Amino acid sequence: MSKQLSRRTLLRGLGVSLALPWLDAMSGTTIMGAPAHTPAPRRLAYFYVPNGIHMQDFTPSETGANYKMPYLLESTLAPFKKNLLVLSGLTCDKARANGDGPGDHARALSSFLTGKQARKTHGADLRIGVSADQVVAQKVGGATRFSSLELGIDKGMNAGNCDSGYSCAYSNNLSWRSESTPMAKENDPRQVFERLFASPGETSAAGIRRQKIRKSILDTVNSEAKGLREQLGATDRRKLDEYLNAVREIEIRLNRVENPLLEKARFSPPESARPSGIPQDFSAHMKLMCDMLALAFQADLSRVATFVLANEGSNRSFKNIGVSEGHHELSHHGNDKDKHEKIKKINQFYLQHFAYFLEKLSGIKEGNQSLLHQSMVVYGSGIGDGNRHNHDELPILVAGNGGGAILSGRHLRYTKETPLNNLHLSLIERMGANLPSFGDSTGRLENLSS
Amino acid sequence: MPLAPVKKIELLRPLLLAALLAFTSQAFAGDEPPANFKNDVLPVFKKNCIGCHNNDKKRGGVTLEGFNSLEDVKKNIKLWERVADKLRTGEMPPPEKPRPTTAQLEVVNRWLDAQVFEFSCKGEKNPGRVTLRRLNRLEYNNTVRDLLGVTFLPAEEFPADDVGYGFDHIGDVLTLPPILLEKYLDAAEDIVSALFKNRFNLTRYLKVPAPDKVTIKDYPEILGTLATKAYRRPATPAEVKKLSAMAESVVKGGEPVVEGLKAGIQAVLVSPHFLFHVEIDPDTSSTKPHPINQFELASRLSYFLWSSLPDETLFNLAKENKLRQTGVIEAEVARLLKDARAKSFTRNFTEQWLQLRNLKTVQPDRARFPSFNDQLRDDMATESVMYFSHITKENRSILEFVDSNYTFANNRLARHYGIPNVSSSDFIKVEFKDNKRGGVITQAGVLTITSNPTRTSPVKRGKWILENILGTPPPPPPPGVDELKEDEKALTGTLRQRMEQHRANPNCATCHQRMDAMGFGLENFNPVGAWREMDGQHPIDAAGELAGSGKFASPRELRQLLVGKSQLFARCFTEKMLIYATGRGMERADQCIIDAIVENIRKDNFKMQALLVEVVKSDTFQMRKANRGGKGP
Repeated sequence: MSKQLSRRTLLRGLGVSLALPWLDAMSGTTIMGAPAHTPAPRRLAYFYVPNGIHMQDFTPSETGANYKMPYLLESTLAPFKKNLLVLSGLTCDKARANGDGPGDHARALSSFLTGKQARKTHGADLRIGVSADQVVAQKVGGATRFSSLELGIDKGMNAGNCDSGYSCAYSNNLSWRSESTPMAKENDPRQVFERLFASPGETSAAGIRRQKIRKSILDTVNSEAKGLREQLGATDRRKLDEYLNAVREIEIRLNRVENPLLEKARFSPPESARPSGIPQDFSAHMKLMCDMLALAFQADLSRVATFVLANEGSNRSFKNIGVSEGHHELSHHGNDKDKHEKIKKINQFYLQHFAYFLEKLSGIKEGNQSLLHQSMVVYGSGIGDGNRHNHDELPILVAGNGGGAILSGRHLRYTKETPLNNLHLSLIERMGANLPSFGDSTGRLENLSS
Repeated sequence: MPLAPVKKIELLRPLLLAALLAFTSQAFAGDEPPANFKNDVLPVFKKNCIGCHNNDKKRGGVTLEGFNSLEDVKKNIKLWERVADKLRTGEMPPPEKPRPTTAQLEVVNRWLDAQVFEFSCKGEKNPGRVTLRRLNRLEYNNTVRDLLGVTFLPAEEFPADDVGYGFDHIGDVLTLPPILLEKYLDAAEDIVSALFKNRFNLTRYLKVPAPDKVTIKDYPEILGTLATKAYRRPATPAEVKKLSAMAESVVKGGEPVVEGLKAGIQAVLVSPHFLFHVEIDPDTSSTKPHPINQFELASRLSYFLWSSLPDETLFNLAKENKLRQTGVIEAEVARLLKDARAKSFTRNFTEQWLQLRNLKTVQPDRARFPSFNDQLRDDMATESVMYFSHITKENRSILEFVDSNYTFANNRLARHYGIPNVSSSDFIKVEFKDNKRGGVITQAGVLTITSNPTRTSPVKRGKWILENILGTPPPPPPPGVDELKEDEKALTGTLRQRMEQHRANPNCATCHQRMDAMGFGLENFNPVGAWREMDGQHPIDAAGELAGSGKFASPRELRQLLVGKSQLFARCFTEKMLIYATGRGMERADQCIIDAIVENIRKDNFKMQALLVEVVKSDTFQMRKANRGGKGP
């Protein structure tokens, strides 16, 4: 035990901030009969941008490793070319009307990770499907304290009718835990930080007492809810089941804390990393959320995340880059040159923040690799061109190598109408969950690894 | 392919659109002679649908061939629900094909309603059913404030409540993901910890003057009283026992007695009985409507008008079984409205009905509209809320929402409007002398949220009026319009001229004429709601025609035409109020109740408080129907 620390030692030392990520100090240690060289875990994140992208400056003309980056990629992601897969030709068919009429924005977001057709409703009987991140969370989420993280920028302040007869739940939520329960996003970086790191000394005596009380509370309300459930009809039961599921999930988390052998010693960020709230500036806000996500991955508090950079149909304007018109309004550009230019600026602005996140990940070492190497970060939109509202030829990037499971640095073109869900299925598999199919997938996406 | 739910009200829109042209209050009463399938209905389908939907072509997998009688139709209700849906949303027939006339559509719709789906206002009352609904953020904050004197806003840290039917407290839409339960646990901890630092509140709300003197024997009394208030009904002995036993077990685990009590209080605050508006059907196997019980009724009332729990007076009325005695609920409505807590109703309803919450996120171009700033943003919302509050408290006619000669303004807003002599930053009632403004449609908040950052949007403004004033939302654009190629030559001229060129497309013309006309009637108001005579170099032309109602030449004349549609507005407003009062979307059966309410308040000149009383006395509010299919899995 010279240079390498055991979990026990780490736990004894808890309360003291450890400056090193767990894996650095831990790899090579045998604990409780675990294999000596546990491979470093993979991370999966999805970044979503609304209203499509100006594809003429996004899609490379050549395929393979020697492709030339078009303007939007070149001006933002050039340093990460070798970490990047550009995937062309993918389609999110369920975002199409398929007989349901207008509502492309609501469908684009809610179908992006589910590959299911949203039931068109203002509210009653919300129904779509479990999203890819949640499939992974349910499979591997037990290994970390938070089975998944859901981040966003917009709070979902929308009033009124969000999109042509679809409830706002569809145009605000990317991640769906069940076919009727969206995972609400956190948009305040301070709250994210506190949730991740600020539970004070959970393994201290006071922390353990607190968790014990919390468990008793959950036991009590759990039994109350079960009693109540007996008295309810079918629809009400479904609502109460959300409550019961939430209780169960938190109980599992508390049990982990109670059993310190399961809870890894974590890297604690310095106090200076704690955000003070939601910054006024949109760019600063996105960057802080990226910081929080990078910290969560670094501390291995969660391995799956979604980040909605703006709700679908967002009409945000971008004064700081000289765009005073709204994004959605501009995206219906009618092939106006001036509008094209402005759309490109907005696309570029969002991509710069993606690059910022990749930069963060690449600067974090895990073992002898970077965290970016360990990760698979998907960036994309459920709309191709904002003017046409098309859902084929989607803009999709995958950054990172998934710990070697992805051969990046290439542009791959798939045949028309290849389901986006084929990508999801392939990434779900790389995260350790094997499914025969997912949503409208027709198979696994070829050539991701070679 | 999932079916859109066809029971919902949006299906009635084309009917209502027809009503916009020639309103008949009998639209749902079914007093017209019944349509005959063979003579009135089948020919319409033969002419307009069966060309593609026949046994050979089966376009979209659908055939309508082979239905020769009403009985045939009834054998495949699911298919015909879908047909009704497509007809009503205008998606079928597709735009390039001939369409049935409005009159034919009305006959078909009436036939579907009355004979296929057997919908009628005359049969058994159907009060609908609210899905088990959790407290939303506002309700949570208000409830813990009134329960335990909490002065901070714990729910500020909760995730946003999703919106359905225009409101953020719809049972079907509110969900409870794990992160929210986590926040509930944190909030309960924070609330209890603040409470025990405040002797005054401890005494007032828990009757615990000295927490160090509490013994385990006191648990049932303290927790029972709290649970009764928190659950908005008497806590059962079993519940009290369970809570006390839990608190006791905490003490047995080595904690001081006071920590056990704190844990018990937290359990109340995380209990499903506290977090949900629980309404129990006495018999889940029966779908027969039944009156909700007195405590449930008291809660519905207090959450409607206060977004909080019943106070002692209201709770005691429920306990004494008096809420359905003559005159009692009317008196309670008046009493609750006078209370300061009614602010939640006026603000919350106004902001959502008028969609003013979007003011928080609009970004008018400050270079073009330098008068707009965050203060003015807040002032705009305040104006409309005070206006609503005035009409409510003074029991004015709801038609004043459509037009009046006054508003509320402070110095900043008065400057924005060009009203002289308002010097304070406090809002006062001001009268308009120039007829430029009046009613919510010309209030700056509404005009701003229906604009784009750099320009007005007559389409958005027109659509807003159709949706929120007339209750006749336009059907969605037919499929494919987004792919229309722009004209080769650039569109030129004023916004109006450019849009008129655009409307030359026959696919868009019908609906856009209606939307745009009203929007253009408001072109004198710039994107932040200030008056203007010119748009760039072009003088404003605010003239237009409201289908079936006549021509207008100014915003004032437009408002007057809209006031003439009082019946439509009253329906629309009543519907929004019922959604707000119940936390669910309105279904077809609710139209009967809405019609009845409108009829009753019309006699009373559409007075606001008359409407509120009608709402709380309605079956929709007073009753509940158990779930079809009884108990769930």
